[in-house]
Amino acid sequence: MGKKTIVPIGPYHPLLEEPEFFKLYCDGETVVDMEWETGYNHRGIEKICESKTFEQVFYVVERICGICSTSHPFAYANAVESIGAVEIPVRAKLIRSIIGELERVHSHLLWVGLAGHFLGYNTVFMWAWKYREPVLDMFEIITGNRNSYAMFTIGGVRRDIDENKASQLIKVLEDVKIKTDLLVGAVMDDPVIHARLKGVGTLTAKDIHDFGAVGPTARASGVDIDVRRDDPYAAYDMVNWKVITVKEGDVFAKAEVRLLELYESISIINQCLQLLKKEKEGDIKAKVREIPAGIGIGHAEAPRGEVFHFVKSDGGNSPVRHKIRAPSYNCITTFRRSCIGGTISDAAIATAAVDPCYCCTERMIQVYDHNSGKRTMSAAELIKLSQQKTEELNKQFSAKDRS
Amino acid sequence: MNEKDNLMSIENYISDLKIRFPQITNVEVINVKRLMVHIPTSVLAQITGYWFNELNYRYIIVSAMDSKDGFELIYHYSDDSSGWIMSLNVMLAHNEPTVESMTPIVYGIEWIEREIMDILGIQFLNHPKPERFLLPENWPEGNYPYRRKIRKEDR
Amino acid sequence: MGIKENCFKKSLWVFHLSAGSCNNCDIEILDLLTPRYDVERFGMKLVGSIRHADVLLVTGIVTKKTKARVLEVYEQAPKPIIVIAVGTCPCTGGIFTSGYNFAGPLDKVIPVDAYIPGCPPKPEAMLAGIVKLLSQPPKSGNPRTTSEAQP
Ligand code: SF4
Repeated sequence: MGKKTIVPIGPYHPLLEEPEFFKLYCDGETVVDMEWETGYNHRGIEKICESKTFEQVFYVVERICGICSTSHPFAYANAVESIGAVEIPVRAKLIRSIIGELERVHSHLLWVGLAGHFLGYNTVFMWAWKYREPVLDMFEIITGNRNSYAMFTIGGVRRDIDENKASQLIKVLEDVKIKTDLLVGAVMDDPVIHARLKGVGTLTAKDIHDFGAVGPTARASGVDIDVRRDDPYAAYDMVNWKVITVKEGDVFAKAEVRLLELYESISIINQCLQLLKKEKEGDIKAKVREIPAGIGIGHAEAPRGEVFHFVKSDGGNSPVRHKIRAPSYNCITTFRRSCIGGTISDAAIATAAVDPCYCCTERMIQVYDHNSGKRTMSAAELIKLSQQKTEELNKQFSAKDRS
Repeated sequence: MNEKDNLMSIENYISDLKIRFPQITNVEVINVKRLMVHIPTSVLAQITGYWFNELNYRYIIVSAMDSKDGFELIYHYSDDSSGWIMSLNVMLAHNEPTVESMTPIVYGIEWIEREIMDILGIQFLNHPKPERFLLPENWPEGNYPYRRKIRKEDR
Repeated sequence: MGIKENCFKKSLWVFHLSAGSCNNCDIEILDLLTPRYDVERFGMKLVGSIRHADVLLVTGIVTKKTKARVLEVYEQAPKPIIVIAVGTCPCTGGIFTSGYNFAGPLDKVIPVDAYIPGCPPKPEAMLAGIVKLLSQPPKSGNPRTTSEAQP
């Protein structure tokens, strides 16, 4: 096999219930093939759900992914409520949407920070995470916890958002908006970021279709899908907003989609809060006696794409079968197209573009020499490689400026 | 499109589908905007190709379960232009759980087929990489966590 | 003063291992590094390799597949090392105890010095846990590390 080198990435790659272990086969600097191994984080959640009651399942699915801890309950609620044909109160719908969008804000900010870190812009990392804190505080005020909110229940939500909390939320969002302007400016106007991210890890619309990729990954390749619009649930058909799509399909496009989606989310929350004011009276939870036998299919748009839940009930207390698909399950497979042919230093950012979490990736990336099997490069070094490339570009640009 | 048109067009759609594939055993609308098509395994590849390539449906996932009459595989696709989720339901016998792999048609299906192999022990013919996926390496052969332990006929 | 107290007096370097978490805990750990909590001012730092670390933070349940890796990481760690279980998952297994891929609470796999429960524990709780641990080093709690630590 000549001088091929294997670069394992993983085993931990969260944001999936099953983190996976990638091996990049490299020829010199270029990635020529990719292989994966998964199952490290397989906790058997689907099976656990089958032993819990319909109400309890909410708290299990919440713990599939810490960052999407509303998206899974959201999709599950949609599925179960469709079996029982439960009509949920308007107020509950609005609150659900608010929580869902707030989560998108915090998740996208988190991603921007991580992407910044991968590129060697640690300031962006610190900034983005700092601006994320007020959002988490808001979660704590509304739901009682910073993550894992336990907000949803069959037929509605468990906690109300009153006037006082609403006005606090509006203030926080104003602030986040200003900070988003700042981040957008920092990303869009920086020639180095343009040079570093454009044309890297490109996915075409056909790739997206082949793998069934969803969410910002798909929308950045010009595939105009969004469950919130295509199959509206909760309050998304009561408010005005638009789906952001970009044509290019490279990492830059993915960043652009996420940043612009922040504005949309903020506007959705504001509109929902307005509607909530009008809808003063009213329950936040419908009474549900039992879930009849039947099949429920529910999906919801998580920050990373469509979350899909399939629930089968036999009229008893707990689901007979519960199938869960997280968005990353489909998006991760696209790495095969986005990384191959690129350089190793781009692999880190191309994989990060789909939105995996860096803390785990970083820890376990190691480069193995194919022949001797000896470790030749560590995780931190791989990211350093990525950061060095940015630095070099930086130097080139400043040299150009001077001349 | 309002509710009524929607119903009309789905009825047209169903009859059209039945004409195209007379082997279809049953079509039911299980919920609002959710369609379930029951088919024998012989037409699985054809309908998958029709949906995925011609109608451009988006592949979502495959749900598998161990039910009373056999192993049920449910292939979910989404028609994003209308928001309908279309599902193909095939039933495999308990004593011979094999089915053709759909990976040659839909790339993305590779992982979930391997996962189903792990958890239910269903064989996918012509799968490009029929290896263990989720369970640990030392997991005992022939122990499939999602198979029901007690079945009626075993009692 | 024992060698352990001496070793862990100053800035601690932390290695973070997620055994099978929902990554909420992992994110809260990262949160500690960012401006609001900023543990780096105490000299605490996340490091990329266990060989540089004084503290091993474990999050998430130990699954059957990760069990071997957790053991391996523990073997590679320079002793003495402090092991902290962050979150309900490694402490007891929490909601996942009934899962078929669950290999037992962390202290059945490797010796643990401190438990920080919560799902996820707040960053403040993690800080409090570490401070408590450092102000009262365990006398005998960790048999393997203490015996190896004795010169
Ligand atoms: S303790 Fe809770 S938050 Fe932490 S990894 Fe486990 S489930 Fe996730």
